[in-house]
Amino acid sequence: MTSRTSQELAELEREAVEAIEAADSLPRLLEARSQVLGRKGTITESLRGIGAADPADRARLGRELNLAKQRIEARFADRRAALEAGARERELREHRLDVTLPGTGLRSGHLHPVTQLEREMVAFFTGLGFSIEDGPQVETDYNNFEALNFPPDHPARDMQDTFYVEGGNLLRTHTSPVQIRAMQRLEPPFRFVVTGRVYRHDFGPRSSPMFHQIEGVMVDERTSFGDLKGILYAFARQLFGARVDLRFRASYFPFTEPSAEFDVTCPNCAGAGCGTCSQSGWIEWGGCGMVHPRVLENCQIDAERYQGFAFGMGIDRAAMIRFGLPSIHVLFEPDARILEQI
Amino acid sequence: MRLSLQWLAEWIPLEIPPEALAERLTMGGIEVDAIERSGADLSAFRVGHVLEREAHPNADRLSVCRVDTGEGEPVRVVCGASNVAAGQKVAFAGDGTRLPDGTAIKRSKIRGVVSNGMICSEVELGIGADASGILVLDDAAPVGAALSDVIGSGDVALELSLTPNRGDCASVLGIAREVRAHFGGALCVPETAPREGARAAKDDVRIEIEEPADCHRYAARVVHGVRVGPSPDWLARRLESIGLRPINNVVDVTNLVLFEFGQPTHAFDLATLRGATVRVRAAREGEKLLTLDQEDRELDPDDLVIADAERAIALAGVMGGAETEVRAGTTSVLIESAHFAPARVRRSARRHGLMTEASYRFERGVDRAGVARAADRVARLVAELAGGEVCAGLVEATGAPAETVEEIQLDAERVNRVLGTAIADAEIQALLSRLDIQHRRARGGGDAYRIPTHRNDLARPEDLVEEVGRIYGYDRIPTTLPVAPLGPVHAPPLRAVAEQTRDAFRAAGLLECMMLPFLRSDDLDRLGIGGEDPRRRTVAIANPVLEDEARMESTLVPGLLRAVHRNQTRQIDAVQLFNLSRVFFARGGSTLPEERVAVSAVITRGERVAWYEAQDDRPAPFFQAKGVVERVLRDLSRPAEFAPEWAEPYHHPGASSAVRVEGARVGSVGELHPDVAARFDLEVPCALLELDLSALAAQGAPRTAYAEVSRQPQSSRDLAVLLDRETPAGDVLAAIQQTGGTQLVRTDLFDCYEGTGVPSGKKSLAFRLVFQRHDRTLVEAEVNRLVDRVVKMLGHRFDGELRNAPRREE
Repeated sequence: MTSRTSQELAELEREAVEAIEAADSLPRLLEARSQVLGRKGTITESLRGIGAADPADRARLGRELNLAKQRIEARFADRRAALEAGARERELREHRLDVTLPGTGLRSGHLHPVTQLEREMVAFFTGLGFSIEDGPQVETDYNNFEALNFPPDHPARDMQDTFYVEGGNLLRTHTSPVQIRAMQRLEPPFRFVVTGRVYRHDFGPRSSPMFHQIEGVMVDERTSFGDLKGILYAFARQLFGARVDLRFRASYFPFTEPSAEFDVTCPNCAGAGCGTCSQSGWIEWGGCGMVHPRVLENCQIDAERYQGFAFGMGIDRAAMIRFGLPSIHVLFEPDARILEQI
Repeated sequence: MRLSLQWLAEWIPLEIPPEALAERLTMGGIEVDAIERSGADLSAFRVGHVLEREAHPNADRLSVCRVDTGEGEPVRVVCGASNVAAGQKVAFAGDGTRLPDGTAIKRSKIRGVVSNGMICSEVELGIGADASGILVLDDAAPVGAALSDVIGSGDVALELSLTPNRGDCASVLGIAREVRAHFGGALCVPETAPREGARAAKDDVRIEIEEPADCHRYAARVVHGVRVGPSPDWLARRLESIGLRPINNVVDVTNLVLFEFGQPTHAFDLATLRGATVRVRAAREGEKLLTLDQEDRELDPDDLVIADAERAIALAGVMGGAETEVRAGTTSVLIESAHFAPARVRRSARRHGLMTEASYRFERGVDRAGVARAADRVARLVAELAGGEVCAGLVEATGAPAETVEEIQLDAERVNRVLGTAIADAEIQALLSRLDIQHRRARGGGDAYRIPTHRNDLARPEDLVEEVGRIYGYDRIPTTLPVAPLGPVHAPPLRAVAEQTRDAFRAAGLLECMMLPFLRSDDLDRLGIGGEDPRRRTVAIANPVLEDEARMESTLVPGLLRAVHRNQTRQIDAVQLFNLSRVFFARGGSTLPEERVAVSAVITRGERVAWYEAQDDRPAPFFQAKGVVERVLRDLSRPAEFAPEWAEPYHHPGASSAVRVEGARVGSVGELHPDVAARFDLEVPCALLELDLSALAAQGAPRTAYAEVSRQPQSSRDLAVLLDRETPAGDVLAAIQQTGGTQLVRTDLFDCYEGTGVPSGKKSLAFRLVFQRHDRTLVEAEVNRLVDRVVKMLGHRFDGELRNAPRREE
């Protein structure tokens, strides 16, 4: 191969630059570059041919070729940048979505309000070291009533209208039979909560034959009624806000002595009195008291040494307060529009 | 129980407004449900005397009366009531008087006759419901007196709800005692002793108690020469103030005394009794009694009855008999006051569905010391109001004494330990003495308290602790927190499984629902569940609310299908619901049923399609449900296996599968059988899935451990295989995985196609196989060898035919 003259080189460079400038797309530009600087490109081959050139001419040729190569690479880089910028601009111009179309998101699932409240409640008590106990919903008369100090043929039994099942057992009317099951097994001191479904033979605008309770028990040597109040205050404020107040009214439950019912400040009117609370400023929430010594004795616990408190309240009721539900029946109505919103 | 404050005020001074009284009673355990004001101020009304009555000249139904109002000349009044008559004492409203409803009475002309006021009825006065005629007052009412002085006015009634332990509060006396405990004051108990005649009651009647265990005492008084008639106004009003209808002067007195003292009494017409002996005995087999409510009742031998020589005359403690009741013409009255055992009365009341004022009080226990007092008080009032002479002496018999606690030991330390208070000894004694619970030194030292006879609910020291607490005030007990070591919290293993499952369903886009957990009678038939199926062992409710919902759920499916139907009727056709609940299986006899925790879900395919998906591109509902099962079990770290079988009779036979975990069946997934869908009136395609969480929990918690991931590059190959249409893809996938060995780290089925280009009877499945080693890069030849092995296997085992050469994907 003969070495090229300066003039030939200039011509070569001019053609290459023309081709680069003429390329209107990145593939064409790459093609144009490889014609010159590729493995078999004109400049590449010329560089490769330097060895065969006239030794006197080699230095000049080498210098001119390298300068030309650098200039072409620079033009190439400029052109490439221009093309890429153009392509991005075009892409930005052309990718136009109707962003008001709905997203392709999945349907969102939902936990039942009773589940939500139950978890919140249980989390509060497990955080205070209460374990979780569980028991059957179909119970014996003994566990549901007798062991809890409801004597047979006693009007206390009228407090809880009962569903009986064939064979003489019953649907538990409260979660308290689990107290009996747990306390027969546990050695004091202990504390636990129980949650679950309970049943009352009662169907009306304000009552459902099935509803949910949470119940807690703590037994130790000196656990007092004051402690019970303290726990319930903390609990109510966790659930309904720091401003709610409680009031404890003397009451009667066969399985606690002393017994109390407790009301929580009506969250709707903050205690001022409204339709939700029948103008009283309070909403009835649950029952509590000190575990009756006879109940402890029925569970083989030394009632002279140990004492403790028990409390129970409706989870459904808490859900109604939280979500402002007009009726308990809303909770058990499987309408997707209801289930999705609360 | 309803209580008039006017009445109460006669027994104890009430110096506080009704609201404050109600609040204090409520906080102290006597819950006041409502405060009702009845009767307006009647001081503007006067007692009038109807001097003459004549017919209105221009109207048949009107009368023109001349009424003496005690002021000036008698006035002319036009009256529309048919019962108005000359000689009556009436309630008169003169010109300008305002009725409780706001109407002002004006002098006016009625059909041409001037009327100077109005003669009022109960309704117009706002004191009763009787609008049939004017209110006729007692003849003794002084003409011109303010009506409020004669019949009272402006009463307030408290509606009380008593807890079952406080039978002693079911009386004016009982509430007066509570008021005294809270506010102090002196009780003013009415006179009870009757003036007795010469004739002795024991000459008329003898008492015999044949059931001494259940009749602790039976006392009787006899009054001769009574005239039965209407009660005087004050008594009628008093009974009306607590919601009772006046009957006659004798019966009304027994009701009055029941409310005064809480001791039920009964009056018999002595002349109707056969023989001179009144017996308290058990009812005889087949014996009948026509009770006062005119029900002919067949008695049970467990019923305690009052009987004469021949027959039962009253259901003891519950209701008297009709044949011996006091009526117009009765002249001799036998008054019963007794103490019956609570449980026996309660059983009778329940057996006969008769909850009476008497049974209510006996069930809760009456004051054992109050029996004679009530008999005396009734006799005294009967003689006062109905005339007659009270025979000398109380005839009585006693049975076994009731079980009583007369004294309870209690020290202050215990009170304060239980309540968390620091109340001094002296204050405890003072608090209890306000309840008539008097302190005394116990025999062996220490403190003891005497329990009054009316408080038979007090039996143990804790009962007294409560009395101290409630009178002291629960609101004054300091709020503290228990001090206890914080140990590990235990929970039943099933709880974790259930809660994780709820979360997984929620993450999969399902809505949790809760429903009443009762099966309807034809639910299992509608599902096609056969007689041998364990779900047929339902737990039956003996006293259901609705006859058709008399069994506990043994399957959650019918409830969910009804939920779909309910949504469908509200034009919501696409729903994804789950229900996590217990299911019950009877074990027979008195054995408690088996309870398992189950979760079921239903997914319906609605008409609606999102804008980015095509209606016909959507997979069958089965796969949506299966996807949920896979997801839920993955979240529970349990690998799901699906066995193609007709898993449930209510599944479509061509779209049904059992779900297994480690070989054990834990559930099912399938599309709803069209017949079952029709039986539940469902119009949308549904898929169901069910999991037995008790079974899953029984398998123990899976241990989640880290497995090292490969840092080497992976190689992938795509294979499209023509297979027989019936070949289960799952089998093919499993065989590929097995053949590929440990270096085949993943096999994805990315296409499943039938149609153009695929011969009929065939389908095309496309798999992506991913190969990788942990220790080094796999070379191409190794991967090709493994792929060849898979291809050969597909050929001879499934008659599979490669549609193209394995494509290399990097």
